Amino acid sequence: MPEELKASVRRRSNLAVIQFSGDVTTFAEDVARDAYREATRDGGRNLALDFSLCEYINSAGIAVIIGLVTEARRQDRRVLAFGLSSHYQKIFRMVGLADYVEMCASEEEALAHINPEA
Amino acid sequence: MSEEQPRSVEVHIPSELGYEKIAMEAAAAAAKRMGFSPDRIADLKTAVAEACINSIEHGNKLDATTKVVVVLTVEPARLQVNVADEGLEPFPSEPVEPGHPPDNRGWGMFLIRQLMDEVEFSTESERGNQVRMVIYLDKQ
Repeated sequence: MPEELKASVRRRSNLAVIQFSGDVTTFAEDVARDAYREATRDGGRNLALDFSLCEYINSAGIAVIIGLVTEARRQDRRVLAFGLSSHYQKIFRMVGLADYVEMCASEEEALAHINPEA
Repeated sequence: MSEEQPRSVEVHIPSELGYEKIAMEAAAAAAKRMGFSPDRIADLKTAVAEACINSIEHGNKLDATTKVVVVLTVEPARLQVNVADEGLEPFPSEPVEPGHPPDNRGWGMFLIRQLMDEVEFSTESERGNQVRMVIYLDKQ
């Protein structure tokens, strides 16, 4: 019934992008943890979360994202997010995630955020 | 079909995570038919999903033999959604605020309160847990 979450990691310049695909729910924890490990393996400091292929994020999924962001910040990493619908951007603001995650409209905007001189 | 008299739709889902999506799509279909905006429909979908998840996980303890009953009542100016389970464990009474991370149930209740126009949580000894949520057409 839930659309299983998948994650893939790609690198653009000095930005590691985790692309999530599927439902972000309580079942997302292992996928998110493994993707984070893969994305940060090279020690990069900039991490972007791509939600453009996620149509359903619930409170348990938000808790998973909070855990991921908390870990990233504990390791002094910068976290950005893009691909969120306006509704989920609002939810991120409501739960306080937007205070710790830089919300961008696109991957290009995320790249521009971390490379303002480029 | 006249919309002057309330119309009710009842959805029964098993207490298994994932089935909340059926309830949220049913609520979205009713809201769309009433003319709610896409933003309000998205709010409603999240609130209904969170109420169902609370019932599945905390009310019915993930026992798939138990049911969560969702009743959508369509009225001319508002949509009321009642979500009921078979559990008797009272809802947490402490409100949740951003910056003070709660458990998942807390986040769910927080989001429901934020997104709906009226919300009431209750636990009755013979009826289990009930969540009553209302959104109004004129509060787009």
